[in-house]
Amino acid sequence: MSTTEKSKKGKPGAKSYEEIRKKIADGDAVVMTAEEFKQFVKSNGTKKAAAEVDVVTTGTFGAMCSSGAYFNFGHTDPPIKMQRVWMDGIQAHAGLAAVDAYLGATELDETNNMMHGGAHVIEDLVRGKAVRLKATAYGTDCYPRKEIDTYVSLRTVNQAVLLNLRNCYQNYAVATNSSSRTLYTYMGKLLPELGNATYSSAGELSPLLNDPYYRSIGIGTRIFLGGGQGFVIWEGTQFNPGVPRTPEGVPKRPAGSIAVIGDLKQMSPDFLRGLTFTRYGSSLGLGIGIPIPILDEEMARSCAVTNDMIFTAVFDYSQQSRSRTVLKEISYAALRSGEVEIKGKMVPTSSLSSLYKARQIAQLLKTQILKKEFMIEKPVQNFSLERVFKPLDVRTEKEAM
Amino acid sequence: MKTKVVLNFNPELANQPITHNLIAKHHLMVNILRAEIDEIGGKMVLELSGKADDIRRGIDYLKHNGVGVRPIKEGVRRDDDVCTHCGMCVSICPTKALAYDPKTGKITFTEEKCVACGVCIDACPPRAMEILI
Repeated sequence: MSTTEKSKKGKPGAKSYEEIRKKIADGDAVVMTAEEFKQFVKSNGTKKAAAEVDVVTTGTFGAMCSSGAYFNFGHTDPPIKMQRVWMDGIQAHAGLAAVDAYLGATELDETNNMMHGGAHVIEDLVRGKAVRLKATAYGTDCYPRKEIDTYVSLRTVNQAVLLNLRNCYQNYAVATNSSSRTLYTYMGKLLPELGNATYSSAGELSPLLNDPYYRSIGIGTRIFLGGGQGFVIWEGTQFNPGVPRTPEGVPKRPAGSIAVIGDLKQMSPDFLRGLTFTRYGSSLGLGIGIPIPILDEEMARSCAVTNDMIFTAVFDYSQQSRSRTVLKEISYAALRSGEVEIKGKMVPTSSLSSLYKARQIAQLLKTQILKKEFMIEKPVQNFSLERVFKPLDVRTEKEAM
Repeated sequence: MKTKVVLNFNPELANQPITHNLIAKHHLMVNILRAEIDEIGGKMVLELSGKADDIRRGIDYLKHNGVGVRPIKEGVRRDDDVCTHCGMCVSICPTKALAYDPKTGKITFTEEKCVACGVCIDACPPRAMEILI
């Protein structure tokens, strides 16, 4: 046992993963959604909360662009080593072994009409539909076939696995537009002259905002993913824990994120949707829920964070730069009120993340844990807090070395 | 009383003083919420205020002259199976027909407030909104 574990054991109210897992297995665990827990802490304090509550369930449902699914289609006769692959007209990446391919959520069809993308094909599959699979190949002695045109569904393929490189951003920006024309962005439709502002986080319900330093969310954490069960497999790309934080440790900018995996065959269109952002393209609307074990009072304090204590920055998306100026910092309580002040103007706000579905996910996850259908896992490895987020510049070979 | 209607008329009717007649002959107060005309014809969204009988007679007058008249409810439709209640539409809806309900977390659509402007159509990420006029 490590020194930290020993000292924790001595703390009143501290619980180990093993203890919480046993309680879940015995049907004795006390589980609350993040919203219920915050109310409980308000009335009873963190000490009592840490002693009495075992698990807090969080949830979020939003556009998660860096998503996709890989498939193994099975072998044709005679066999083919697929070189180029299309699923319902959307190109999947096929530079893998013979009949494996990865379909990215933001890949668009080749007419580039921006209305139909990989995310929509993934949703169709989850809905039980058949999709048209076309593949071409150069032909080899071992894989002589050069083309195939057929239909596949989740019933016919061997593996259909959602594998997302960056999901569940810990906080995100607020987007507005000071220019004189409407902007169409991945943050939605931004009206001219600061006509509106959009944001995209479930705030106090959002998983990583309840575990700001990734104590319980790490590699191996079991999660609710798109209606099924999945796992955190790595830090998400662009993982950036070093951003400015509040005194309570909550990041005030996009910070951590997670890479996740799960069986597409378990998922549901209630929590997995193809989305279209006009003149931007497609994205995947995805529901993720993460249970947070209340290991000690510090964990209870983290999960007690409310929207008035979570801040983010407002950016002007008409500024076409990777490092836009921060117009101001604003709380999620203010954003949820429907109107915020930006540059002296009252600006109506829109959420891109569904609070309704986030609540539904936290509630479902709570029920699943209480019914012993969902078990929490201790991460096999935690994320590094040293990670930095580097830009891409035009450089010489020598400069890149 | 007040009512909102969607009017469709062919190019020939575009030259007739329809709105004027509603005001002058049928004693209605007319608020033009939306008006457009192209080679196929014209579309208008009007709010009519006045006595119930005058509104009925005004609508009869429009229909008698070949104007298609439909209640606003048939202007914009939301597919509730498709809506994810994200709320993108809330800040761009000029009449607050689409609004966030903090109690349920859902986005409500009050058809009576909708003027069928259509700004929500291409803003909706899951494409739940449809314009019918």
